[in-house]
Amino acid sequence: MECVFGLVGNGFAIVAADTSAVHSILVHKNNEDKIMVLDSHKLVAASGEPGDRVQFTEYVQKNVSLYQFRNGIPLTTSAAANFTRGELATALRKNPYSVNILMAGYDKEAGASLYYIDYIATLHKVDKGAFGYGSYFSLSTMDRHYRSDMTVEEAIELVDKCILEIRSRLVIAPPNFIIKIVDKNGARVHATRQSVQDVTTAAV
Amino acid sequence: MSQSAVDVPPKGGFSFDMCKRNDMLIQKGLKAPSFLKTGTTIVGLIFQDGVILGADTRATEGPIVADKNCEKIHYMAPNIYCCGAGTAADTEAVTDMVSSQLRLHRYQTGRDSRVITALTLLKKHLFSYQGHVSAALVLGGVDITGPHLHTIYPHGSTDTLPFATMGSGSLAAMSVFEAKYKEGLTRDEGIKLVAEAICSGIFNDLGSGSNVDICVITKGNKEYLRNYMEPNPRTYVSSKGYSFTKKTEVLLTKITPLMERVEITEVGGEAMEE
Amino acid sequence: MSIFEYNGSAVVAMVGKNCFAIASDRRLGVQLQTIATDFQRIFKIHDHLFIGLSGLATDVQTLYQRLVFRHKLYQLREERDMKPDTFASLVSAILYEKRFGPYLCQPVIAGLGEDNKPFICTMDSIGAKELAKDFVVSGTASESLYGACEAMYKPDMEAEELFETISQALLSSVDRDCLSGWGGHVYVVTPNEVKERILKGRMD
Repeated sequence: MECVFGLVGNGFAIVAADTSAVHSILVHKNNEDKIMVLDSHKLVAASGEPGDRVQFTEYVQKNVSLYQFRNGIPLTTSAAANFTRGELATALRKNPYSVNILMAGYDKEAGASLYYIDYIATLHKVDKGAFGYGSYFSLSTMDRHYRSDMTVEEAIELVDKCILEIRSRLVIAPPNFIIKIVDKNGARVHATRQSVQDVTTAAV
Repeated sequence: MSQSAVDVPPKGGFSFDMCKRNDMLIQKGLKAPSFLKTGTTIVGLIFQDGVILGADTRATEGPIVADKNCEKIHYMAPNIYCCGAGTAADTEAVTDMVSSQLRLHRYQTGRDSRVITALTLLKKHLFSYQGHVSAALVLGGVDITGPHLHTIYPHGSTDTLPFATMGSGSLAAMSVFEAKYKEGLTRDEGIKLVAEAICSGIFNDLGSGSNVDICVITKGNKEYLRNYMEPNPRTYVSSKGYSFTKKTEVLLTKITPLMERVEITEVGGEAMEE
Repeated sequence: MSIFEYNGSAVVAMVGKNCFAIASDRRLGVQLQTIATDFQRIFKIHDHLFIGLSGLATDVQTLYQRLVFRHKLYQLREERDMKPDTFASLVSAILYEKRFGPYLCQPVIAGLGEDNKPFICTMDSIGAKELAKDFVVSGTASESLYGACEAMYKPDMEAEELFETISQALLSSVDRDCLSGWGGHVYVVTPNEVKERILKGRMD
């Protein structure tokens, strides 16, 4: 089941998510990217209802870039997170979405930051956060090993610890994970952790 | 999805835009909230020269006493008062709303409000919400046509009575009235009877408690006797009070000095010219 | 589980001699899982007026944003700050407007009025005002707070003693509530000073 988590280190933020698209007992695919690159320096990792997740994160992404076009300056991570919360909170009054969001970003002034926004639009700035069944394992693992001055290598080591914990303790553990990073050089994929390869039809 | 740029203060009336989300949360197995109730004994009676209203002063939230000395006799007009039982927010809002309508009506007509006007406004509102605005009221006042006493139920039905009780303690209070009420009571007899009825609510109904409030309305005069009786004083106050030996552990202190508040007084009318 | 218990909270306000104190816990949880221990539930409206919001965190944030907006409109129109009792009526009206689909939070309002007379008040989630001369409480720890305050409160305390009393009342109450705690946030407001303190609490 869904595992999304992230943390802030020294000058960067990392988010990791599983890549399984699951419906009931069936796994539809193993390479679903749940971490959207919102703009050059922002990442949005989302879990929840698949339709809502894609619809809502794309809506946020397009509006954030619209703002950038209109005003010539990008939104800060804090502004984007507050915008997302506002949109989610108003949307909830009409037809409940169900998406949980971890928003990571890097700003020149504020540095790296991570925001937690749950499906009822509770916004909070955190050092480390997690959603889904994986949160029971990753939150405690991060609580034990997290430091605010971690280097990228140390942070990745911690992410791997979390993934290991999830894989070894969660009955319905997803096989594959994607890890993305955002720092002063921008938002990008950092690594993947795959235990099942997707078999493409061409290869058969 | 996107809304107007800023949400402008609403014009009035209820807003239902959060019902859907709250329903979703309830579907998820979270229980809906409980509201502050008055859970009350309120009474009223007609005596020889007017009306006497009475109420207890306990407000409850489930089994918890939320307020030990709240006011349940609401002002409607200088010659009309109204006791409220039921959901506290509803009784407060409905009486405030009607009281402001009455004030506007007095400005427009230049005459004193009549009890029947207040009654009609209240029952119209309550009826239109089909009992969902849960206010049970005892309305009393003296106008040009004499003293009046009414009860109003949450669904909007009304009674006109010489003596009335409402709220969870209404049965206890009514038994006192049934036994002792008679026509043409004097002021002192009336107050004594009302206080006795409220006390029977306070002591026999768990939803009612604390003190007795009384309001006496006569032609051209009214007396609001807040905390007329205090039959349940606190007995366990220690004279010294609590003091703490160990200092509380503080992690961080931030002190923001504030500017002295400056009183601005206008100096004559000329300064404002131009 | 009640909606009020979803995030967990404890808010309390007390009156002293020409001063008041308002305090809250710092936990943000999702049922039994703790998300953060630096959550803000007490907000400044102006120098002498504070509001603490217990209950569902998302509505705490939405309601706070609406209240600040309305207070700023008032400041622009009237060129002065709102009096505490006026503000309480505003909050009450905003809550009662949503009588049939309420904001799921209970406010505690504390301020210094004219002649530095302290004002405290609480409400239920649909705006039934409850004015008090001594102390008001709300949140999941409200039951234990009632008890603690009832025993510890004394009339006419000076700022320092008031701080000690409200802190001890808060800390001892949240220790009997699983859903709130993890430290405290206390504001003591006198006519010419605001003292904000972070308290150390139990971490279980």
